[in-house]
Amino acid sequence: MGLLLLAHLVAAVLAPVLVRWWGRSAYYVLALVPAAGFGWLLAQLSTVLAGGTVDERTTWIPALDLDVTLRLDVLALAVAALVTGVGALVFVYCARYFEPGDEGLGRFAGVLMAFAGSMLGLVVADDMLLLYVFWELTTVFSFLLIGGSGAKVAGRRAAQQALVVTTAGGLAMLVGLVMVGQASGSYLLSEVVANPGSGPQVTVGIMLVLAGAVTKSAMVPFHFWLPAAMEAPTPTSAYLHAAAMVKAGIYLVARLAPGFADTPGWRPVLIGLGLATMLLGGYRALRQYDLKLLLAFGTVSQLGFLMVLLGTGSREAAAAGVAMLLAHGLFKSTLFLCVGIVDHACGTRDLREISGLGRRLPVLAVTAGLAGASMAGLPPLLGFVGKEAAFTAFLDGGLESRTWALLTLLGLVLGSVLTVAYTARFLWGAFGSGGTVRRCAAGEPRPAHLHRPTPAFLAAPVLLAALCLLAGPFSFALEPLVAPYADTLPLVAEEAEELKIWHGLQPALLLSLVTVLGGLALFTGRDAVARLQRRIAVDASADEGYWHTMRGLDRVAQTSTRSTQRGSLPTYLGVILTVLVALPGSVLVFRAPWPDDVRPWDTPVQAVVGLVILGAAALAVRIRQRLSAVLVVGVTGYGVGVLFALQGAPDLALTQFLVETLTLVTFVLVLRKLPKDISERHRAKERAARGVIALAVGALMAGVGVVALGARTATPVSVDFPEQAYSFGGGENIVNVTLVDIRAWDTLLEISLLVVVATGVASLVFIRQRTGAVARATGEDTRSARGRRAPRDRWLAATATLSPQRRSVILEVVTRVLFHTIVVLSVYLLFSGHNVPGGGFAGGLVAGLALVLRYLAGGRYELGEAAPVDPGKLLGSGLLLAGATGIAGLVLGVDALQTTILQQTLPVLGDVKLVTSLFFDIGVYLIVVGLVLDVLRSLGAQIDADEEHGDDDADPAEGQALATTGGGDR
Amino acid sequence: MIPTVVLPIIIGGLYAAGVYLLLDRSLTRVLLGFLLLGNATNVLILSAGGVAGLAPILPVDDLGDINDPLPQALVLTAIVITFGISAFVLAMIYRSWRLVRDEVVEDDAEDLRVATREEVDADERDPEDMPPADRGPGDGFTVEREPLLGEVKPPSDDVDLELARAEAAENESAEARAAGDPDRTPAGGRPVDREEEH
Amino acid sequence: MEDLIRVLTPLPVLLPLLGAAGALLVGRHPHTQRLLSILVLSGVLAVSVVLLVLADDQGATSVSVGGWPVPLGIVLVVDRLSALMLVVANTVTLGVLVFAVGQGMADGEETDTPLSIFHPTYLILVAGVSNAFLAGDLFNLYVGFEVLLAASYVLLTLGGTAGRIRAGITYVVVSLMSSLVFLAAIALVYAATGTVNLAQLAVRLGELPAGTQLLLQSMLLVAFGIKAAVFPLSAWLPDSYPTAPAPVTAVFAGLLTKVGVYAIIRTNTLLFPDGALDDVLMWAALATMVIGILGAVAQTDIKRMLSFTLVSHIGYMVFGIALGTAAGLAGAVFYVVHHIAIQTTLFLATGLVERRGGTTNTEKLGGLAKASPLLAILFFVPAMNLAGIPPLSGFIGKLGLIEAGVALGGAGPYVLVGGAVVTSLLTLVAVARVWGRAFWRPRAVDTADEDLEAVRPAAGTSTTTAQLQENRLPPLMVAATAGFVVVTLALTVFGGVLYGVADRAAVDLLDRTPYLESVFGLRGIR
Repeated sequence: MGLLLLAHLVAAVLAPVLVRWWGRSAYYVLALVPAAGFGWLLAQLSTVLAGGTVDERTTWIPALDLDVTLRLDVLALAVAALVTGVGALVFVYCARYFEPGDEGLGRFAGVLMAFAGSMLGLVVADDMLLLYVFWELTTVFSFLLIGGSGAKVAGRRAAQQALVVTTAGGLAMLVGLVMVGQASGSYLLSEVVANPGSGPQVTVGIMLVLAGAVTKSAMVPFHFWLPAAMEAPTPTSAYLHAAAMVKAGIYLVARLAPGFADTPGWRPVLIGLGLATMLLGGYRALRQYDLKLLLAFGTVSQLGFLMVLLGTGSREAAAAGVAMLLAHGLFKSTLFLCVGIVDHACGTRDLREISGLGRRLPVLAVTAGLAGASMAGLPPLLGFVGKEAAFTAFLDGGLESRTWALLTLLGLVLGSVLTVAYTARFLWGAFGSGGTVRRCAAGEPRPAHLHRPTPAFLAAPVLLAALCLLAGPFSFALEPLVAPYADTLPLVAEEAEELKIWHGLQPALLLSLVTVLGGLALFTGRDAVARLQRRIAVDASADEGYWHTMRGLDRVAQTSTRSTQRGSLPTYLGVILTVLVALPGSVLVFRAPWPDDVRPWDTPVQAVVGLVILGAAALAVRIRQRLSAVLVVGVTGYGVGVLFALQGAPDLALTQFLVETLTLVTFVLVLRKLPKDISERHRAKERAARGVIALAVGALMAGVGVVALGARTATPVSVDFPEQAYSFGGGENIVNVTLVDIRAWDTLLEISLLVVVATGVASLVFIRQRTGAVARATGEDTRSARGRRAPRDRWLAATATLSPQRRSVILEVVTRVLFHTIVVLSVYLLFSGHNVPGGGFAGGLVAGLALVLRYLAGGRYELGEAAPVDPGKLLGSGLLLAGATGIAGLVLGVDALQTTILQQTLPVLGDVKLVTSLFFDIGVYLIVVGLVLDVLRSLGAQIDADEEHGDDDADPAEGQALATTGGGDR
Repeated sequence: MIPTVVLPIIIGGLYAAGVYLLLDRSLTRVLLGFLLLGNATNVLILSAGGVAGLAPILPVDDLGDINDPLPQALVLTAIVITFGISAFVLAMIYRSWRLVRDEVVEDDAEDLRVATREEVDADERDPEDMPPADRGPGDGFTVEREPLLGEVKPPSDDVDLELARAEAAENESAEARAAGDPDRTPAGGRPVDREEEH
Repeated sequence: MEDLIRVLTPLPVLLPLLGAAGALLVGRHPHTQRLLSILVLSGVLAVSVVLLVLADDQGATSVSVGGWPVPLGIVLVVDRLSALMLVVANTVTLGVLVFAVGQGMADGEETDTPLSIFHPTYLILVAGVSNAFLAGDLFNLYVGFEVLLAASYVLLTLGGTAGRIRAGITYVVVSLMSSLVFLAAIALVYAATGTVNLAQLAVRLGELPAGTQLLLQSMLLVAFGIKAAVFPLSAWLPDSYPTAPAPVTAVFAGLLTKVGVYAIIRTNTLLFPDGALDDVLMWAALATMVIGILGAVAQTDIKRMLSFTLVSHIGYMVFGIALGTAAGLAGAVFYVVHHIAIQTTLFLATGLVERRGGTTNTEKLGGLAKASPLLAILFFVPAMNLAGIPPLSGFIGKLGLIEAGVALGGAGPYVLVGGAVVTSLLTLVAVARVWGRAFWRPRAVDTADEDLEAVRPAAGTSTTTAQLQENRLPPLMVAATAGFVVVTLALTVFGGVLYGVADRAAVDLLDRTPYLESVFGLRGIR
């Protein structure tokens, strides 16, 4: 079986190719695949009829009890034979149904083949979850088949309807299957049915499963997708909507009935819905003009019939059900195929436009006639046998309670009456002299309209019709195929009836007679019927209902999105902060243990500094003047630096001061371009809300800090740092050792972050390629044509490029004097950092400040003179150096970033101690310098350049783009 | 370990100020807020080290007196990261200024468009409003409504010559109309399936 | 073996960093850069695969960087979960890199994304991601996050167009917010325990009063919740991702949020095993799933729609975590893997759609199925996978979660199962609509449908089918996308193997001993 499924898959993939090679005739080749399946099934017949089963098992996802477990028993074989047989014939039919030129032939072939495969899989699957897998696959492929090329609105809508409705049921079913599976301890259908557990979980689970079955088999009120699906080309309808997919639900019910028919709710739901569907479908079928639609509603009606029979869960009903299942598969696909041919012949399927086909296409007429007779349940066809059996079943048995049995029977009889009526309408409409004397009528002046079907085209339906005819008289041959399954169900009647054509004169026969007469009466009185239908027609439809549901969904979606997706950053931040206050805040208030006692401060100075900081912070909130706001924020920064110093963290203090200074410079560089003041854009209400959130967060953070520290009992891991730092890290400045050695991994990542940021800054300012080194004062740049070497008669090389009013001699002098000193200092910090405050960061920042000085004093060309390198290279080599020390460890057979201390006495220098982590620190140094240089040349030099070349190049397109399209299409 | 009072107050104050600025629409203020929050967090980390003490630089007489070096290292990392990021944000501010002469966080346009979107996609239109060719049969319920009383014209599939002629005429005109568009719609309200055209 | 692990473990971080350094140094030669990046990432992927095999074979192992005795130094831990994440993440980054290279070569050097910046940044992003998975140290995890975020800031604003700056601002500021919360949480954790080593924290946090634990856990949860885009902390995501260049969006959508999810899994299992916040997580999961997918249904732009499904499906993972059972965690882990692959694939496919159709707005697109059947397949298969159509991996993950939920029973889990199912259906609705409009429906300009004319905004005219034929798809981009589709199918076929790993990983996570032993058993070399 697994191989068969695989074969279908392969064929599906190959189909488009084959069609490209051989055109529509490729369908003949493809037909071999389902045919092979059919053949294989016949081969298994003996085994299965002997009561055996064919099992296959391949593990797939054991953790979820989802394995490829296939099992072929009698019921599976019966349905599988129908599926594969009809499938093969449909492929044969397709080969002539399509015109050579039709587009999408390959796609259609592939999808149809894939569908056939999944349908077969669905029937032979024993693992319930696997069954669900194939179940959904059939849904998806039918989606593609119905949609076709997607050129037509109706097709797209129908496809989506079918997809959504059946998947909705399917998902409910999935949950149901899981519930049932876990309750009964196995996911194998065979085992579950053998011992279905019980209890609410099973009951609910089964109801959910039925939801799946009901939607898939188009029971009221989910029937509407089936007629809509008639958009699909006729072969699809013949296969999916007659023989195969719509039977899936019925099949599942039949599968589960032996185990679960007595679950509360099972019978009421299935029999009730079944009858309703049968009657409604028949009723609707009576007023269709489109032959295909007429059949579609007929199918709906028949599905209801089947649902009743197989849902009843008694031996006799089930037997009738299986017989009826086969019968319906045969005659309904025949009829659909015939409609396809009629359509081809006349170019229309409207029975008002067709007339006299009976005379002109006798073969077709006979074929359809036979199939129709079977549908109407006339002897000696299979349909008759099935219906007889059904009537008999409910006459003397079917259900425990006689009244319900008889009521059901009544429903079935009424349904059958309708069936006869619409069958008559169909045959008369298609082949009788019904339609108006127009297109395809005899003696019609435009015979060109009539395409005579070739024998090849007719073959499939003829063959099927023949089967309908034969299966009737030889229905006793079906008994062994039906009985074994039926016997798994309790027998309610006195004795089980065998399937056969003639049971002698008995009430059921009478009922059949009634149905036929009643049906014919309805047909002859069709005017009255039609009038009546028009009178009582309600102006509502499940289709409309579906549409309103979807619109409702859209509205809900839009509303919820509107309220949650404001598109406003402050709102988002507000929400986040509110959550912060709500979740940890409530914990803090209600659950957290507060410390027993607190001390005011480490030193009173903290309080003084604190006042300064808070004062500055308060000012920062109020001030709307850009630069002064920056300055007061800077004050808080320096204040924090002092706090660090007080805490006993000189390295932090140093770094904080340097960083703060650099930050200020950077800010000024950018903000000098922006307007002086920040205009207030917030309404008072907003400001109030912000204030509340701000205070809440402040209080929260203060509180959590206290609580967390108060909870500390353990000694910090860093108690071991000092001696470790000295003995292993080879340094006296513990913080620095920590940075470049103990936690060097952090530092490595951190400097790579700096690299990213540097390149990012550059990329935002130089939008095109990252340019190399900063421009230097070259001839064409300097006003007075002068070589690029700095002249001796000035303090700084490139100041000549500055306009006089921007020059400041004092600054130049100071710079000239200080620059190299500062650079030396930075290098000293770098090398001594391991033992005294300093290190790569501090050193790099100092060097950076030196560059700042040069830039401020001498402008952008001076910057080029000061550091004639490509920052990219600087960053790259720094990262390379740091990373290399990391790799080195691995290469030398120790851990990554592991330090070694090289210590020896050199002749002149005396005792020299070199710690390899120094190289790492050098890498840090280089990167920090690179970052500063990048910032200066982007936010400094380049902005100057923009200014000089008039930076009013905010191109309107992008500006407007920002205004109009926030995202989406760029 | 016994927490101080001063530090939490400083931390809280800085957080409050920072958050207030962060919620502004002006990018400059957002960035300033971020800096304040950064400082606040750094103080928080440092305070996690416990009591103030000597600088953790050897040699010291009593290792018990030094301030916990680990939080110091963490803060150092944090400081540098904050600097780097704020430099990048500054670059974004400048870029935004270059582009739109403003440094304000606009609302997201697509969000607003979706929120105020009225029109329904063509494929989601009410079947009632669609031409019969497009709407598909649904469940066939929707029929032209007729008064419960009064004259009801005979159904169109009644074989009645007079009607037949009417039908014929009607269809002829339909033919004429249909000549133009490929997707012609027979009186049945069903389009001829594209795959089935000749 | 010991040595092998010692050498391999740091490589997923070190190699990309060195690669980035190299890429910067050869900045002038795009070809060398491309070659270098691809080589490096292939190497990283190879290393990750080996690590996964070792980890799945002999459980968790760890390395002390710099050879410092535990818990002084920083440890990197490789257990089943982190190794699995490494493999998936690096598969994705490598594939996306190929796509990006293809795009770059297609656009020539006149692209709006300066290559000399893209490659180093991208490599450092990879380093950050890898480090986040390997980190055995809370602060190191933070640094890893910062690195990948910084890199993502740069990548998101590549080219600095107005739209990207605007989106970038939202993204950057929100991420800064989350980082601050995370950093503060670290400070609190250290204040309370005096360590940042995860294994040691696992022990010391347990000794704290329940209230304090809950406080710390909730702080961390908020921080990671923002990164993982858990409702109501998720609104930033759909505004920021869609504007970036296709490969960038793809890798962001695939990876970055999952790093947050990973962090949530790690902290909730290792540091706070008693599941005090599981109820909160459950409701968050439900809200994330449902509100997220409603957002997706409301969208008309494919990228936006995908971004919302991204948020929505984060809810699935949180659902699994919130259940707190091994089954639930296994489902979550599997779903993370699946979702990384599928979101990347879909965004790449959408990138192709944009290239082919000139836009990603379904009101303007159309006729793609006819115009480019291959593209149609490349979109349809992953789209169905996203919607959880069996047998594809999305279904497997969903099934795992549903089974876990039903197995646990009780009101909460059943509500979540219901929510998950509804979400799955609505996802299908959303993608089916995109399919119907962008791929099936003939292109609007060709049809004389006045309603469509009405809905199309006057600005931005869409190209005609004639033009559609012209812009062919660069083969390398198509190949990369196709490769991803194949990967997602592989996740389906070998779902059993993968689920096995996820299952074992989940078991390890719940019984924390493998992790703890691997760290404490580690003695520094010195």
